[in-house]
Amino acid sequence: MLGKAYFAIGLAVILLFGASSFLGWELGTPSREVLPADARGPNGYRSFHFWHYGFHGGK
Amino acid sequence: MSVLTANCPSCGAPISFKSGSSIVVICNYCRSAIARTDRELRDIGRVAELAETGSPLQLGLHGAWRGVNFELTGRAQMGHEAGGVWDEWYATFANGSTGWLAEAQGRFYLTFAEKINPTAIPPLDRLRLGLSVGSIPAATPPIVAEIGVARTLGAIGEIPYELTPGQTFYYADLSGSANMFATIDYSDTPPTVYSGQIVTLAELGLADAGAAEREARMVTAVSLSCPNCGGPLALHAPDRTERVGCPNCNSLIDVNQGKLSFLKSLGAGKYKPDIQIGSFAEFNGANYMVLGFVVRSVEIAGMRYFWSEYLLYHPHIGFRWLVNSDNHWSFVQGVAPGDISDAGHIRYKGKSFRIFQDAPAQVEYVMGEFYWKVEVGETVQATDYVNPPEMLSRELTVNRREGSKFETGEVNWSLGTYVQRKEIEKKFNVQLQSPSNVAPNQPFLYKSIYPYWAVLAAILLITALVTIIASGSNDVMTKSFHFEPLQNAEATQVTFSDAFELVARRNIRVQGTSGVNNSWIYVAGDFINDDTGLVQTFELPVEYYYGVEDGESWTEGSQSASTLLSALPAGKYTLRLEAQWGPQFAEPANITIKVDQGHTSVFNFLATLIAISIIPAGIAFWHFNFERRRWSESMFTHSSSSSADE
Repeated sequence: MLGKAYFAIGLAVILLFGASSFLGWELGTPSREVLPADARGPNGYRSFHFWHYGFHGGK
Repeated sequence: MSVLTANCPSCGAPISFKSGSSIVVICNYCRSAIARTDRELRDIGRVAELAETGSPLQLGLHGAWRGVNFELTGRAQMGHEAGGVWDEWYATFANGSTGWLAEAQGRFYLTFAEKINPTAIPPLDRLRLGLSVGSIPAATPPIVAEIGVARTLGAIGEIPYELTPGQTFYYADLSGSANMFATIDYSDTPPTVYSGQIVTLAELGLADAGAAEREARMVTAVSLSCPNCGGPLALHAPDRTERVGCPNCNSLIDVNQGKLSFLKSLGAGKYKPDIQIGSFAEFNGANYMVLGFVVRSVEIAGMRYFWSEYLLYHPHIGFRWLVNSDNHWSFVQGVAPGDISDAGHIRYKGKSFRIFQDAPAQVEYVMGEFYWKVEVGETVQATDYVNPPEMLSRELTVNRREGSKFETGEVNWSLGTYVQRKEIEKKFNVQLQSPSNVAPNQPFLYKSIYPYWAVLAAILLITALVTIIASGSNDVMTKSFHFEPLQNAEATQVTFSDAFELVARRNIRVQGTSGVNNSWIYVAGDFINDDTGLVQTFELPVEYYYGVEDGESWTEGSQSASTLLSALPAGKYTLRLEAQWGPQFAEPANITIKVDQGHTSVFNFLATLIAISIIPAGIAFWHFNFERRRWSESMFTHSSSSSADE
C-alpha cells in the first residue's frame, strides 16, 4: 500500500519534472513585471521607477 | 502372479505365498512366522499381535505407482528405540518387482531394494548424521538423517525376508533432494540399501484410504480417564499419540496402545497457552486442530529464554507447528534434510539463510497430545538460520546406547514462516500481546519501496534523456559590454543590447564573463519584451579573489557566472544591463554576456531525484535500525547494514 502510494507520488513528481523540461520552467526564476506602454523605447526604459538601484555586490 | 498354497506346519491351517519373492508368511490362525526354503516350510516363531496405529492402509489394498499396479501383501511392524511404532507394508507389483511402503508420522516412503557394491556402503562405525552417501543413486547425494535401532514387533501377511520376531538391528535413513529417500538396513551382511522417495497416498492411487475415518476420529475424540487424577482425558489423534499432558492435574501421561500410565507431575499451571488446545484454525487452506502445547527454552550467556510451540494436526496432512517466541508467531513445517544444501552456507529452495542461534534447547512443560514420547528436560541441539520471513531450524539429537559402540540419533529440519500477530488473533479469535523486539525471521514490511524507487529513478533518467534529445539548445546572443568609470562607489551604469528573438518553451541561460581580479562586477539585468513590456529580471554577480594566507594560496569565486530563467513568451526582446563594480570603480569595466536557450538543467534533475528519494531514504534508515535490532539478539555477528531479507 505504502509502495503504491509512494510510486504514485513519485510519478507525479517526475511528470512535473517532464513538464518543466518541456515548458522551460526553472525554479527560482525572479518574478516578472510589465512596463507601461509609455515607458517603452530607449528613453522610457531609462526612466522607469523599478529599475535597480544601489550597491549590489562586492566583498 | 502364481500363488503357492500349503498348510501351516504349526497349526495346519491353510497359508499361501502370493508373491514369488515372499520368504515368510504369517499364519492368520496361530500367528506363527512360516519361512519357506527350497525343501520345506519352517516355523521360525510366533509374532506378536500388531499394535493399532490407525494406519489408513490394509492388506489386500490395490494401488499403482508410475503406471504399475501393486497389492499390499504384507505388513511388518517395527519399534523405534524412543518408543514409537511404525509400519512397513510389503508391496507386490504386477511386473514382479517388490517394494516397501513405510509409514511413519503421517508420511509415506516407497522404497525398492538397490543393488550397490557392498564396499560403497558406509559401515556402521563410520556412519555420522549429515554424512553424504554418494554411492546411492540420486540427483544429489543423500545425507544421513537418522541412525537408529529398530526392533521387529510383529507382522501379518507375506514378508520378503526371514523375519525374526524380537530381532533388533541398526538402520540409517537418508534424505535427498526432491523427496528422495533411502534407508540402509544393517541387519543384513552386507547391509541392504533401499531407495525411493516420499510419496503421498494420492500418488499411489490410495487418496481416500482411511482418511475419512481418521478425520471423524479427530473431531469426536477418544475419551479416557487420567490414571493419576481420574479426570477426563480426550485423545484427538489416538493412533498417533505417544504422550499426553493431563489438563486436570498437569501430569505427563504415557500412551501405549490406548493404555495410559502416569509418568510425572508437570507442576500446576506453570505455563498457560494463549491458544486453547482443541481449537481449530486454517493455514494454507487446511483446517488444523491444536493438539499440544510445549514450552521450550535455551540458555545463552547465563540467561534462559523461553518460547512456546503449539502442535497442529490435520488427518490428511499430518503435523505442523505454530511457534510463539517473544509474541512473534511462525507457522512451521518439516523439511526433508536432503533438500537443505550445506556447502559453506545453508541454502533451501534457492534461498540463502544466515545462522542466528545455536544452542541446546530443552523441553520445560507439555500439555495436550504428542506424536513422540516427549519428556520434560528432553534436549536437542537447535540451530536457527534466517532469511525473513522464513527461518530454517535444525534439531540434532545424538544418543549413545548403553553397551553399544555406535551412536544413534537424528537430524530434523523445519521451515518456519512468520505470521503477523493480527492474523493469529483473527484465526483463533483471541487477544495476544504485542511484541516489543524484532524477531529473527520478522520481515521488514516496507522494503517493497526499494524496487519502486529503482523504477522511478529509471523513468526519471529516461525522461531527462528524452527532454535533452528533444529540446536541443540554441545561441541567442553573445556581446561584450563596456562601462565607463563610475563617479563613486554607489553609482551604477546602464546599457542596452540590440533587439533579439527569444523562442517560447525553452529556458534561458545568461552567462557573464569578466576579467575581474580581486574585484567584482555586479550586473542587474532585464529582458524586456519590446511589444508587451513584459520584464524578466535577473542578477549576475561575477567576483574573483585570490591570495596567500599562512603560506597557503587560496582562490574564491570565478571570472564567470550564469543564471537560468524560465522560458519567456516568444518575441523580440532587448536586454537592459545595470552594472556596478569595485573596488576599482573609477576604472572602466567590461563584461561579455552570452544568452542561449534550451539548456539542460541539472538542478531540476537533481531536485527531482532528491524528491523521489526522500521517502526511500527514510525507510532505508528505518530498515537499517530494524536489522540492527534483529541481529543484536543473535549470538552470531553479522553486518547490520546488509539486510538479511533482501
